[in-house]
Amino acid sequence: MESSIRRLDSNAEVPEEAYDVEVIDMDFHVNPLEEELRPYIEDERALDRLTTEFGMWPIPDKWDAAFAISEGNEGLFTQGRAETIEDVEEACEKFAIDTPIVNCALNMLPQQHHPVLKNAVLEAGNSYMLDHFVDEGVPTALSISKWDVDHALKELDRWGNEDNVVAAYSWFDPREPWGVEAFDPVFEKLESLGLPLLLHGSLAFWPQHSYVGDEMLTWTEVLGFDWPIHGMVNTVNMIMRGVFDRYPDLNVVFQEAGHWWLPFARYRMDEFYEMHPEDIQITPRKFADGEHYLERPPSEYLRDNIYVCTQPFALPRRAGEARSMLDLSMASDTFLYSSDWPHQTLDPPTWFFRNRAFSDNEPLRDAILHENAEEILRF
Amino acid sequence: MTEHTTIDGDEYTKVAETDDIDAGRGIAVDVDGIEVAVFNADGEFYAISNRCSHQNAPMCKAGEKKINAEHTWTESRGGVNADECTVSCPWHLWEWDLQTGENEASGQRIATFDVAVRDGDVLVRV
Repeated sequence: MESSIRRLDSNAEVPEEAYDVEVIDMDFHVNPLEEELRPYIEDERALDRLTTEFGMWPIPDKWDAAFAISEGNEGLFTQGRAETIEDVEEACEKFAIDTPIVNCALNMLPQQHHPVLKNAVLEAGNSYMLDHFVDEGVPTALSISKWDVDHALKELDRWGNEDNVVAAYSWFDPREPWGVEAFDPVFEKLESLGLPLLLHGSLAFWPQHSYVGDEMLTWTEVLGFDWPIHGMVNTVNMIMRGVFDRYPDLNVVFQEAGHWWLPFARYRMDEFYEMHPEDIQITPRKFADGEHYLERPPSEYLRDNIYVCTQPFALPRRAGEARSMLDLSMASDTFLYSSDWPHQTLDPPTWFFRNRAFSDNEPLRDAILHENAEEILRF
Repeated sequence: MTEHTTIDGDEYTKVAETDDIDAGRGIAVDVDGIEVAVFNADGEFYAISNRCSHQNAPMCKAGEKKINAEHTWTESRGGVNADECTVSCPWHLWEWDLQTGENEASGQRIATFDVAVRDGDVLVRV
């Protein structure tokens, strides 16, 4: 019998079916070079300090967990480095990503200690993204500082009403969680602007100056578990301190915080709250408002106000197990696809076209790949 | 027209000419529905499944130049290590032995195929 042979030349790296479905990627990183950001540093004093040999983001004084990767710290650039729209388009074409939500990946800023310089770099990153992406029609998440609420508000005033700014981007880290009342002005502003708050894992997690942090020696511990634990802590903190009773239209997206912890948080929050809810009345927001309880069971805020990005999905290979986990996680209401391009944990959307949990349930697939994102982003 | 050659009683299929595959790079071919990646490791040719078992990445992209590679520390997305006789996946750098198809860390194995080079042709036995 004559055999057939065909050279595979396609640029596509994911199943062909992926090109037939709208794919919104909630976490696509742009990494401008320092010399590209420098012209956007407006304060000459800050610029002077940021052009010393230390640059804009000094290397921390401990080995990085990325030394597990054969490319070392290059795990941050396993796929390359996007600096322009053309770079983004080239990368997205390979993975059937129709709409990347780009961000300026200044994920090392939270660990820096100098407030003036941090703000200067953050502003420069936003200005770069405004010029190169927002003004060119690319949906973009611009950054706001967590370390300086006034500065965050100032930045939201500067670009919060711009078309194509679809979200605000900040970080969760080992410091104070987002349930703290000091963030209320930011929540109020975001709600009024109709912008969701994207909270990305911060490199501040990588070797921490703490007893626990310093004993985390591996990539699996640090990136695999430290980020999800803090994502969960921030989620529960925001819900139990009444953030979403005061700001019911605020949507918060955790990026790289994992997602399979949702069933645990869902049932455990309700169990503990319903057993002993009497301390809710003395949390600051409830105390100030004279309210006794949360307005709804905690799990309902988890379903309605909290979203989690799926990268890396780590879906069980057995479709039945995958279906159960997706259902318990309320995935049709809470999951958002993200690729994390260009990092080592890249997650092309293969899962949605290779696991029967999705081929049997296209509405769920579409919710994760684009519908949930369309609901909360300000398009 | 598909070209076949019999070597020691086994049928091999021509998948490329040696000049078609640059050193350190690979191509992918579909032979009777089976995706095979063929790599040039410093002049030695190896054939392995084109699909990484981790997340189905196309192995033939290993060694592809990164976007703005000059602004990163390494040139390529994964790639061939001729000294170790391995290829690392372009997505997550899973490293596969080109001769055995084994990934040492996980113990998983993907298919490998016999390769012969005759008169400038790269032949694979599928």
